Parts: sequence; structure tokens; C-alpha cells
Amino acid sequence: MAPQKRNVLMPTVIAAALIACFGTAAANEDAEVTALTKPQSSVSFGLGYMNGEGRRFGQYNGLNDTGAYGLLDLDLVSRDDGNGRWLRLKGRNLGLDSRELRFEHEVQGNWGYYLEFNQIPRNEPYQAFTGVGGIGGNTLTVPVPASRTGTFDLQTRRDRIGLGFNKYFSEVWNAKVDFRNETKEGARLWARGTTGAFEFAPEPIDSTIRQLDATLSYTGKSLQMTGGYYGSMYNNQNNGLNFIGGAGGLATFTPIALPPDNHSHQLHLSGSYAFTPTTNGNFKVAYGKALQDDSFVTGANVPMAPGIGTNLQGRIDTTLVQMGVTARPLPKLTLRGTLRYDDRDDKTPILRYNTLATGTSTFDGFNEPRSIRTTSGKVEASYALPMAFRVTGSVDYDEKKRNTSAVRVVNFREKTEETAYKAELRRSMSETLTGAIGYVYSNRDGSPFLITTLNNGTVATSGNRVAPIHLADRERNQLRLTLNWQPLDALSVQFRADDSRDEYSAIHALGIGPRSGNARNYSLDFSYSFSDQWQGTAWFSRNQTQQEQSQHVGAGTAGLVWAALLRNTGDALGLGLKGKPFTWLELGADLSHSDIVDTYDQQRLNAVAPGTVVATLPEITNRNTRLQLFAKYAVQKNSDVRVDFIVDRFSTNDWTWSTWTYSDGTRMLQDPVQKVNFLGVSYQYRWQ
Amino acid sequence: MDVYFGVAGKKTDTPVADRNGACLSCHQGDKRTHWQTSMHASRDVACTSCHQVHTTHDKVRDKREQAQVCFTCHKEQRAQISRPSRHPIPEGKVVCSDCHNPHGSAGPKNMVRDNVNDTCYTCHMEKRGPFVRTHQPVQEDCSICHNPHGSTQANLLKHRAPFLCQQCHEASSHQGNVASFATAGTGANTLARGCLNCHTQIHGTNNPANISNERTFRR
Repeated sequence: MAPQKRNVLMPTVIAAALIACFGTAAANEDAEVTALTKPQSSVSFGLGYMNGEGRRFGQYNGLNDTGAYGLLDLDLVSRDDGNGRWLRLKGRNLGLDSRELRFEHEVQGNWGYYLEFNQIPRNEPYQAFTGVGGIGGNTLTVPVPASRTGTFDLQTRRDRIGLGFNKYFSEVWNAKVDFRNETKEGARLWARGTTGAFEFAPEPIDSTIRQLDATLSYTGKSLQMTGGYYGSMYNNQNNGLNFIGGAGGLATFTPIALPPDNHSHQLHLSGSYAFTPTTNGNFKVAYGKALQDDSFVTGANVPMAPGIGTNLQGRIDTTLVQMGVTARPLPKLTLRGTLRYDDRDDKTPILRYNTLATGTSTFDGFNEPRSIRTTSGKVEASYALPMAFRVTGSVDYDEKKRNTSAVRVVNFREKTEETAYKAELRRSMSETLTGAIGYVYSNRDGSPFLITTLNNGTVATSGNRVAPIHLADRERNQLRLTLNWQPLDALSVQFRADDSRDEYSAIHALGIGPRSGNARNYSLDFSYSFSDQWQGTAWFSRNQTQQEQSQHVGAGTAGLVWAALLRNTGDALGLGLKGKPFTWLELGADLSHSDIVDTYDQQRLNAVAPGTVVATLPEITNRNTRLQLFAKYAVQKNSDVRVDFIVDRFSTNDWTWSTWTYSDGTRMLQDPVQKVNFLGVSYQYRWQ
Repeated sequence: MDVYFGVAGKKTDTPVADRNGACLSCHQGDKRTHWQTSMHASRDVACTSCHQVHTTHDKVRDKREQAQVCFTCHKEQRAQISRPSRHPIPEGKVVCSDCHNPHGSAGPKNMVRDNVNDTCYTCHMEKRGPFVRTHQPVQEDCSICHNPHGSTQANLLKHRAPFLCQQCHEASSHQGNVASFATAGTGANTLARGCLNCHTQIHGTNNPANISNERTFRR
């Protein structure tokens, strides 16, 4: 028998075929797993073009002038799976004035550091048409006679550099240091004035804020503690704003003091301890000092009282003690309690800065350091009732104690106390319907209002009539309702409503001062998935606030009494649609619109001074509509071309500046209708 | 006991406290030290209500998208952040967590620092002083006059002058005047910067000038 020829190739072929199938499957599965687990980097670059009046639109994003803009975003991530080392570089808006860049390097669970840069522009929506010179510096030249020679765009820019480091010494100990240095430069809308003369006086901004946060933390199973230091420093390159020229009445109003350098230092310790799996306590203690010893402005127009030295020697000591506990003594009962003590003790020396007070002055010439001590506490109980109800009740107490001065121009009380009672009923009615209704009643009162006197101790005829809004007796009632409903898997609906009313008590028979306040908010949100590829959202909200207050014209009680009813009503809506009609095409559209009306009703309450006009001011309406469209076309699996188109329309009839001219001739101008179109095209490439 | 997070927080019998316990077993401490006594914990907000876990991109930790997550519940602020006078929140330059710690804090309203003013001073440190001439409500609480979420009045004020000032100040001379479009003298209390046309140093001033009545914040 002749030996049979074996087809050695067949198994090979079969094996190869099997390997090709399963090997491919395995390779495909590997690729899929890699795609899901390996970090992805991307870079996006392109060009944008803006056309239109963009002062409002570009307030904070740098897109305020017609023209082309570079678009560049980076998101670079690298991870070494062997040692857990991460490298990240993230950049946004790198072609704009609102650019930010952050670099991070860490070994997960061991150490890490970051370096970041962030730019925040702020462009004043109003443009100055002015003749004032030297804007941005510490000496302004004010034209006499008044004149306007050109336009000036007020703006500031913050450049922020951050640096941080963290290190895990063990499983439970770690340390962190964060440092931030922010410079702010530019000029902002400001003024000086006196009876008969008001001048445009932009404040020069050239300052630095530095903050340092250093902490050491222990994170155990039951106990966590963090202790640290927080230091902050403000430095202003300009001590005073000087003037050349200007109205005669303002001749002595130079220099005007600018914010002084100051710094603060705080040590703090906080912690949390799990006494049992259902009982937890936390606390924080902190002690700090805020100091201000910047040199006073000096000059011919800054006569100084004897003995006040060269700086304020300002010092404020701050103490915070906070503790809280939560417990579940019964499976259905949860209790919470917190106590907080926050003391701000102003230890600035009290000196006689003004020697010109007379017996009938409303001041005694001494400076007035302001101390305030806040003690607050809260007790809350929450109980799970049958049928998926949960009822929660709490009592909040807040007490504020303030120091005062012997002679004051505004009525004052040293202590206010407010107790708030809250009740809420929540129900998860089903998987698809949950809701809650809550009610808050709070009552604020305090120590008797101090009698406002003149320097010689006599009762001020122009005092003791108005209780300041933050000190006045007040009753507040607030109702809140929320409903979340998901009738279909694809549809969810949210409704929110709240209504709050404040009533203030007057301290004088005239009944003047704050009278009542009211706030109402309603919102309705829809979210719907038309299909796996298309989703839509829609929302509507109405917000209304109202304040009623009254005043008396002139000293005494025999003058004109009038009232103001201030109302702000905002309606806003949004519509959104996002879809992927094809695997290579993604589309989106967002439309938002807001309509906000401010009204200023004024009414006469008595017949005194019939010649004085008490008229309602014209209402102000601000409207903004924005349509944002995008389309993303997948050129390849890892790259897209994206087109963005934005139409923004803003309109206002705000009269605040429209008829105003400064004594030096300056006017502040704003287009009442501003339309902007923005078109951006960018290419994004991704890789792993 | 198995912890089941459900689908988008639904279709699960695992109580929120137990779901959160899974996260807190590693993430308790640091910025979450005060979680248990926070308002969000008290209202059964789950960690997964805000955070997306199994993803490279957690929306709430992205400055450009964080506010939208917060607006899921905080609708009033959604309407306010787009008002004409505002912080750069839509631009992602200031985000909710710059001022509030949603995990709880020792400060009121979940402030990141110990009180409202200290939180504001982290960016507005020029207002800290102290000053020779101080303005009491400024030292007590910035939110007596300002609405940090947005306003139709310049500088995020709650109301325009003179109404805002008249909530505390009563007339000895001109303070109680009716708001009008007058542009002369002490009657210019409404247009432009209102009362601040003269009283420009409204946050306080360090000017020690020994001049009659010079505590009126004009120098």
C-alpha cells in the first residue's frame, strides 16, 4: 500500500482561516477595548469670523470686534499603564483673549503637580465718548471747558497663573499646596462729584491678588482631618487717583484714594468622624488676621488730623468654630444638627480723623471699625413615612451682634435674631413621579433700635425714621413645589415653583423704609428622545421680584412722603435639538430668548409739597435672543470638521446713560440694538 | 449588600445613603468633610445625581458644562446668569463651584470660604479693607446690595440708586428725594451712577482727609 499523501496544507489553511477569524475578532475586540479604556487626545483648530456690534456679546469672551479669530483647543492626554503616570495638557480658546491652558503631571496615588494660565477679559458694554486724558493711569486730565475728543473702550483683564503640588505620603496622609497669582489691569467706569459737578473719572486698575493654600490631610476609615494655612495678599500699584483741571467745585477732590494693599492669614483645621455607620460628626475651626497698613494718600488736599500716623494700622481678627452631627437612631429617622460661630473682630485703632465735628454734626470725627459676630444653629429631623412619603422639619436660628459708634447717621440696632421654621413633604410616588412641597416661615427681630443722636447728644430730627433693610424686623413666608415626571422612557417633565413674601416693620409712625418684598419663580422643563438618534429639550421660566418701600423728603416729619414699587419680571425660554441622522453627521440647534422688564412706580402718599413731581419712571426692557447651530461631519473615524453658527440679538431701552452728560462733556454710549453673527469652522483630530 | 445604582438613578431600591456610601468609602474627607450635614445630603441628592462615573468626561467637572448640571435643580439661577450684569458663567470663567461647595462647607449657603464676604474677596480683594471710612453693610455681607447670580442693574446690584440706598438711608437733606431724571446738584440721584455720582467710594475709603463731613465716601 502506497503511503497516502497528506494534505499538510489543509490544517494550515484551516488554522490560518480560524486564526484569521478569531484572531481578527480578537484583534477587533482588542481595538474596541483600547478605544474605551485608553485615554484619547484631540486637537481642534480653525477660524472664526464675527460680524456686528458685539459689546454685550463679547463682554467676557473677547469676541467684541468685527473680524477674524483663531480657534484652537487642545486636549492632550497620555497615560503610562505600567506606573500610573499621567500627562495632560488642556487648552481652550487659545486664539482668543479668554484663553486658558493647564498642564498636569501626576503619578496616580503618589504625587502630582499642575501649572495653569487663565485670562479673563472684561469689556465695558458702554463706550466712553470723552475728552478726559490719561485713562488707565493715576493722573487724569479733565478738559475745561467741557469737550469730547474721541471714544475710549474701558476694559480690564485678569491674567491668572496657578501652580499646585500634591503628594501622598502613605495611604492615609497627603499634602497639597496651591498658589495663585492674578494680575488685573485696565480701567473701569468710575466718577467723582459734588453738588453741581460730576466728572468722568475712570479708576485705574493695576493690581495683583496672590493666594496660597497649603493643607495636610489624614484620611482614615472613620476619621478624616485636614489642617492648613490660607494666605492672601492684595497689592495695588496705585494709591490715589489725581486730577489736573476739572470743575472748580472739585478742586479739592484730588487725590481720590484707591483701594489699599491688604493681606490676610488663616490657620484652619477641619475633620469628620464616623462614630458608627449611621452617625457622623464634622467640625471646622479657623483663626485668622486681616491686616491693612498701606500708607495714606498725601497732598495739599489731604490735611490730616494730628496723631493719626501714616497708615490705618487696620487689623481684623477672625474666628470660626463650626460643628455638625448627623445620626440615624432609627432606620426611618435621620437627625441633623449644626452650630456655627463666626466672629469678625475689627481691632483697628480708633482715632479722631476729623477734628471739625461740631455739636450739631452727625459725626464725631472718629473712624468706625465694624465688628460682627454671627452665631447660627440648625436642628433637622427627617422621617420616612409609609407609602414612600418623607417628612422633614427643621428649625434654623441666626443671631448677629454688631458693634456700633456713638454718633451715627443711619439707624442701627446691635443685635438681630432670626428663627426659621421649615417643613417639607416629599414623595416618590412611583418610579416615574416624584414631588416635594415645602414651606418656610421665618421671623427676624432683635435688640431695640438705638436712638440716633447728633454729636451733642440731642435726638437727630433726620434720624430714627427708617429701619435699614438688613436690620428691620421681618416676617418671611416661602412656599416651594417641585415635580419630576417621566410618563415615558423617552419623555421627562420637570416643574418648579416657589413664592416668597417678606413683610417689614416700620420704626416710626411715618411708616417709611422697606415695606414688603416678594419673589416668584416658575419653571417648566421638557426633555424628549425622538429616537436613538434625536433628542430635544424645551424649557420656560418666569421670575418676578418686587420690592415696596417709602421715603420722606427732607429732615423732620412734615415733608412729602412717597412710595416706590420696584418690579423685575423676566421671562425666558429655551429650545434644543440634537441629532445624528447619519453615522458621519451630527447636528445641533439651541435657541434661547429672554425678556426682562424693570418697572419703577412712584406714588405720592401725602399732599405736602404739591409742586414736587412724583412720577413713575419709564420701564426698561432688556431682550436677548440667541440661536446656536452646529454641524459635525466625520471626515474619518478620528477626525471631524465642525461648523458653528451663532446669531445673537440684544436690545434695550435702558435710559440710565442715554441723556446723561458729565460736567467734563463725557457721554457713555451703547447701541440699543446689537446684532452679532459668528461663523466658525474647525477641524478636530483625535488619537490614542 | 449589593449596591445598585439603577439607570440614571431610577429603577433601584438601594437607598441614596447607601449608594453615596460606596463613593464616600474612598472620597470622604477633603472637600467632602461636611457632606453629611449638607443641604444636598439632607435632600437625598446622590453623588450620581451630579457626577458621571464611568466616563472620561464628567460634565460637572468641566467648567463649561458645570452650570447646566446645577440648573437641573436650581432653575432661578439659570434665568439670572444671562442677565445684562453678570459674572462670566456662560463663558466658563466663573463656575458655581468657585463660590459654592456642593458637598457642604462650614460657611453659609455652602460658601467655599467661611462666609459670603471671604468668598467674594478671593476675586474682589480690593473690597476687603479695612478702611478709614467704612460702610457698615459692605463689611457685613456683600449680598445685602449685590445679587451675585446676575441682575439687570449695573455691578450686579439688586436695585438701582436711589432706591437701593433709600432702603437704609433717610433724609436729612437730599437722601429721601424722589427718583427723577434731574441732572443738577443733589437731585442727580437716578441717571448715570445715581447716588454714586458723588458718593463714588461706596465700599469705603482709606482717605484720612480732615475735611468737614468727609465720611460721605466722596474722596
